[in-house]
Amino acid sequence: MIILFIVLPLVVAGILPLAGRLSRRVLPDLLANATLLALVVYAAVAGRSLIAGGPVLLQPSWLGETIGLRLGLDGFSLFMLMAVSVVGFAACLFSINYMEHYGSKATFYALYLVMMAGMNGLVLASDLFSVYVFLEVAAVASYALVAYGLGHDELEAAFKYLMLSVVGSAFVVAAVAVIYGMTGALDFAAVAAGLRELNAGPVVAIASAFFLFGFGLKAALVPFHAWLPDAHPSAPAPISAVLSGLLIKVSGVYAMTRIFLNVFGLTPALSTVMMWMGIVSLVVAAFLALGQKDMKRMLAYSSISQVGYIVLGIGIGTPLGIAGGLFHLFNHALAKGLLFLTSGSVQQATGTRDLDEMGGLAKRMPVTAATNLVGALSIAGVPPLNGFWSKLLIIVALVQAGHGAFAVVAVLASVLTLWYYLLMQRKAFFGKLNAKWAGVKEAPFWMTASTVLLALLCVGIGIFFSSTITTWIQPAADVLADGLHAVTGSWGF
Amino acid sequence: MILQTALLIGLVIFAALAILLRDLLKSAIALAVASLLLGIIFFRMNAPYAGAFEISVVAGLITVLFVLTIALTKTGEEVRESKLVNVAFPVVFVAFIVIDALVMKGLIGKIPALAAGAETGSFGDVLWKARTYDLVGQIAVILAGVFAVLALFRKREKND
Repeated sequence: MIILFIVLPLVVAGILPLAGRLSRRVLPDLLANATLLALVVYAAVAGRSLIAGGPVLLQPSWLGETIGLRLGLDGFSLFMLMAVSVVGFAACLFSINYMEHYGSKATFYALYLVMMAGMNGLVLASDLFSVYVFLEVAAVASYALVAYGLGHDELEAAFKYLMLSVVGSAFVVAAVAVIYGMTGALDFAAVAAGLRELNAGPVVAIASAFFLFGFGLKAALVPFHAWLPDAHPSAPAPISAVLSGLLIKVSGVYAMTRIFLNVFGLTPALSTVMMWMGIVSLVVAAFLALGQKDMKRMLAYSSISQVGYIVLGIGIGTPLGIAGGLFHLFNHALAKGLLFLTSGSVQQATGTRDLDEMGGLAKRMPVTAATNLVGALSIAGVPPLNGFWSKLLIIVALVQAGHGAFAVVAVLASVLTLWYYLLMQRKAFFGKLNAKWAGVKEAPFWMTASTVLLALLCVGIGIFFSSTITTWIQPAADVLADGLHAVTGSWGF
Repeated sequence: MILQTALLIGLVIFAALAILLRDLLKSAIALAVASLLLGIIFFRMNAPYAGAFEISVVAGLITVLFVLTIALTKTGEEVRESKLVNVAFPVVFVAFIVIDALVMKGLIGKIPALAAGAETGSFGDVLWKARTYDLVGQIAVILAGVFAVLALFRKREKND
C-alpha cells in the first residue's frame, strides 16, 4: 500500500477544487490536514514493520494491467517519507490561519498536496526516469506556490526560480539519457549492475557531473544557489517552510545521495567533490546570512549553509558520516520549517520582515518568540537540542576519517551560525518593545499550535536522540553505507 | 548517411537560431523548423509515432500557440539584456560541440545494443503498454499545471 503516499494526496488534490465550491474554508482545511495526518500516522505506525523483512517493492496495477512504475521502500526512503510527512503536516496546519488572507484556499491546498505527492513519489521511485518525472511534479507545483501572493516580488522570484530550476532539470535529464544510452536500463538495480559490468569510468564521470550540476541547482549548493534567497522568502510562510525544510533536500540531497551512493557507488573523487561543495556552501552562505536585514532572507541563506553540512556529512562516505548527515537533514527540516513558520507569524503580525524595524516582540508574542528561539538554537547546534547531536556526529566522523581541517572549519561555521541567529533573536524578539508594535497580538491558534509541535519535536529528539538514531536514522544510513549492494542485492524484480 | 548528417547539422543550427534570434516571431519559426527536422530524423530511425507527434504537436500546435501569443502582445519597451549572454552562449556552445565530438566518438563504440528497436505493435500498444511507465507521473504533472494556472489567474475574492 505504499502507493498511498503518492495517490492519496493526488486524489484529494483532485477533489479539493470541488470541495472548495461547497465550503470555502472549513472543508479544504479539513481535507488537506486529514490527508497529511493520515500519511504521518501511516509512516510512523506501519512504516517500520513494512520494511522489517527487507525493502518493499511494488509494481502497481490498474484494471489488470501493470503500470510500468516501480516503487521501492527501504530504510532510506522511509526516513525521508517520515520527514516529508511531519514537516508537511505542520506547515499545512499553519496554513489554516495563515492562508486566510491569500484567498482561494482550495487551490492552494491542491497545489500543496500535488507538491507533497511529487516529493513522496521521488522518494519512492526506483528508476532514474521516475526520479526525473516526480522531480518535475514537485517543482511545477512549487513554482506556482512561490508566486501564490501574485505581487511583483513573488512573480519575479518565481520566474527566476523557474528558469534556474529548469536548467537543473535539463541536466538531470541529460545525465539520465547518458546512463540509458550506456546501459539500456533505467531501473536502479539494472543500472548499477550494468555500469559495474561495463566498467565505463568516463561515462559515469560525465553523468555524475551532469547530476551534480542538476541536483546541485535543486539543492542550492554554492555556486548554484542564486535562486534560493529570492524564491524562499517571497513564498507564503508555510511554503517557505516546505521549500527550505523539504523540497531542496528531497529533490536535491535525497536524489543525489541515492544515485551517487546506491547506483554509481561513491568513488573517492566523488566523495571529495561532495565534501568540497558542502564545506564551501557551509562557509560562504553563513557569511552571507550574517549581513541580512530581511528575516526570511537570513533564514534562506542559513538553509544553503545547513545543506552544506548535510552534503559534507554524507560526502565523507563513512557510516558515521552518513548517519550524521541524514540526522542533520531531519533536524534541519524540523528546525528550519519551524523558523520559517515563526517568521510568517511575525510577518503577519507586524507586516514587515525587516529585522531593524522589529524589537521586543517577545513581550507581545511569547509563544512565537520561544519556539523561534528553540529552532534557532537547534540549528546553531546548542546542546541538548537535536541539531547539536547531528553536528557532533558529522564533526566526529570528519575527525575519524582524517579530515581534521574540514572539522575545524565546520566548528567555526557553527559559531558563525550561532552568531547570526542570536543577532536575529536580539533584533526581533529581545530588547525594548518598539512603540509601533504595542498593538501586536500573539499568532492565532493553529499557527502557534504547529510551531509548538515542531519545537517540541526539536527538544524531544534532542533528549531522546539515541533512540531516534536507532529507530529512524540507522536503517537509512545502513542502506546508504551498503552502497551498490543495497539496490543490486535486494531491489531486482 | 549524408542526408542524416545534413539533417542533424540543420537541427543544431535551427535550435541555436531559436535562441540567438532577437525577433520572437523568427525565433518561434526557427524552433518549428528544428522540430520538423527532428521529426524527420525520428521517422528515418524507425520511430513513426514519435515522429508524428513531434511534427504535429511540437512543430505544429505549439508553433501556432507561440505565434498567436506573439500576435496578441504589444511591443513594449526594449528589454536590456546583458551583453555577456551574446559572448557566453557561443563559447559554451562551441565548447559543448568540441567535448561532444571528442568524448562521444570513444563512447559510441562501447554502447551495447539496446533491447528495444523499432516501434512495434499498434498505436494503442505503444501508447498504453510502453508508456504506462510515466503515466502516474504525467497525471501528476498535468494536475500541477492545471492548479498552477488556477492559482496564478485566480480572481481575488471580495472579502480579501
